[in-house]
Amino acid sequence: MSTSTDTYRRQLVQALQAGGVPPGRIGEVVAEVESHVADTGEDPREAFGPAREYAAAVAGPPSPGSRVWLGVVLALSAACGWLIAEGVFGVVRNEPVLGLPEGWALVAGWLLWAPAVLAQLRSRPPVPDPLTGRPMTPGRGQVVLGMTVFLAALMAACWLLAALTTA
Amino acid sequence: MPTDVWPAEWVRATLPLSVLAVVAEAETYGYAIAQRLQEAGLGAVKGGTLYPVLNRLEQDGLVTSSWREGAGGPGRKFFTVTPRGRAHLAERAAAWQTFTERATGLLPSVGSTR
Repeated sequence: MSTSTDTYRRQLVQALQAGGVPPGRIGEVVAEVESHVADTGEDPREAFGPAREYAAAVAGPPSPGSRVWLGVVLALSAACGWLIAEGVFGVVRNEPVLGLPEGWALVAGWLLWAPAVLAQLRSRPPVPDPLTGRPMTPGRGQVVLGMTVFLAALMAACWLLAALTTA
Repeated sequence: MPTDVWPAEWVRATLPLSVLAVVAEAETYGYAIAQRLQEAGLGAVKGGTLYPVLNRLEQDGLVTSSWREGAGGPGRKFFTVTPRGRAHLAERAAAWQTFTERATGLLPSVGSTR
């Protein structure tokens, strides 16, 4: 499968999820696009238009519920990342964060990890392939691992930055 | 007039019935439907236009679909007309004929300068 089809699939799945389309229906729409361009040899963008516009045409406007969940995921992830970054700087520079002992921000950040991951999983249920029934999106394990690795990398980067700027 | 590029609103108006007619000829899949429409002289219909029409026909219970393994590539979604789809097609085809005859009667005839 070509890179452009892969990119298009990812964008289409994201746009349909953001539109609150049920996972089974997302699988159908994505498989239709892939099957069609495999037959015609066209670029999916050329045959179906930009992923976001095609998703809007298929799904209708995003439901208020899906927007709320997207907001919850973003807010929790942002708070989680911010607390961890501030916590790391606090620990390295030995400065309190928000008037609390610096270690607390770090702990609070990691405590937020669980609800952030749960909200992420809730807003992106696995999309089944209509032919095989197998998931065509990253599984729950990959989402959890991806977010954990990202936060660990963020922590390491902040530590490095803090150490360099404090010395 | 040998042309394959029709005004978009004409294509939009005729597409649901034309697609239903193609599916009613024989069980078929998206790309084959697009090819059949082009052969019939309706022009090139993009996937982004065709599949929403097919899904709408399915939602309305006029066609059903099932996925089947393709040779090598991804699967194909085959569409079959339902008895309700056949009845709808017969009824609308007759109405469409009347409608286009009336429209034709109103339009200046080809070659005249009315």
